[in-house]
Amino acid sequence: MAWTLRNGMRVLGLVAGTAVLGGCISGGGPSAGLDAPVVTATNAPVAQGIAIRPGTEEDFVVNVGRRTFFGEGSAELDETARVTLDKQAGWLLRYASWKVKVQGFADDTGPAARNTALSQRRAEAARDYLASKGVPSDRMLAKGYGKDAERLINNCPDTSCTAQNRRVVSNLQDTLEL
Amino acid sequence: MPLTRRQFVAGSLGAATVAAPGLARAAQQIAGAAAYFSGTAVDNGVTYRTTNFAKINPAYRRQLVQYYSPEPLGSVVVDTKNHFLYVIFENNTALRYGVGVGREGFRWFGKAQVDRKALWPRWVPPPEMRKRQPELPASMEGGAANPLGPRAMYLYRGGSDLGYRLHGTLEPWSIGQNVSSGCIRMFSEDIIDLYQRCPMATRVLVLKHLGAPITNEAAPGVAPG
Repeated sequence: MAWTLRNGMRVLGLVAGTAVLGGCISGGGPSAGLDAPVVTATNAPVAQGIAIRPGTEEDFVVNVGRRTFFGEGSAELDETARVTLDKQAGWLLRYASWKVKVQGFADDTGPAARNTALSQRRAEAARDYLASKGVPSDRMLAKGYGKDAERLINNCPDTSCTAQNRRVVSNLQDTLEL
Repeated sequence: MPLTRRQFVAGSLGAATVAAPGLARAAQQIAGAAAYFSGTAVDNGVTYRTTNFAKINPAYRRQLVQYYSPEPLGSVVVDTKNHFLYVIFENNTALRYGVGVGREGFRWFGKAQVDRKALWPRWVPPPEMRKRQPELPASMEGGAANPLGPRAMYLYRGGSDLGYRLHGTLEPWSIGQNVSSGCIRMFSEDIIDLYQRCPMATRVLVLKHLGAPITNEAAPGVAPG
């Protein structure tokens, strides 16, 4: 299925009629130079809608979840983070052809270098936990992105935004790429 | 907050059920409710009933949709009119869930954030609710019989508890309905899932419908519950 969150979403528009479920047509937000969706309406299904095939990237996104969150300045996995990673590990063991790039982020206080190091520790903590649950190390790669502006919510000091930025994203890949 | 099963049956199955003789009616109620459950699952040591999604309108099942709106990544947006809750993802997409919302007179709108989260939460019905439903307990321990279900996320504004929560339900048939006293209720499976996706401080926006202006409006004359 040709959709991916990593290179920009290629959306498979189904029939246009399904797009009006919520009665809400888009104001047409900018899509930042990404591939243009076929149907640009809020509530139009992405990929298979509810007919998700087990083992697909969409299955992982909808039924498992890619994001693990962290406390401020911390690379510790709390109870909620471990639950998310337990689900990821179970899925990755079941669908063994997928590789996973474990991407860490941080926009906590302090200089960029400290955030880059923190994001790397977060990525490694998640990877090590997945490995402890049996996911082979050669299927995983951990990388910290620090305050990478393209991948974070920027210019938003609100705690709701900073909480989102303290995360690790488990990004499925066919072949591991740095 | 949930209606009792008795109220549900009287309210949504309507006159035919109410007119049936007592015993037959009771049997019908139990069979009707049972069809909404597929079995059981264990979560944090609690055995709860899983939803039979074959009985559920596909629109209310968790699914990835396109989403064009300016809310930042990770925000939760509730479309009250259409009974949808969205978690905003990247690239103009969102994960959409079905929800049950407040009945007439119990709806509220506005911005909030998640300042507290709980597994298998206790339920303390507010005094106003107990006045309306004197049979309710003063409080109820968390667990499989608790109407809040397996998770609750408590909504605050400016540091004050609004009294409203995102929580589970024992009544999967109430998803897609206007039934609560202002809380946003979800299938057990969905509130467990949403809990993982919402760190503390997650922004929650409750709208009349998508595209409606953002206003902070309390439920008319009703304390939350």
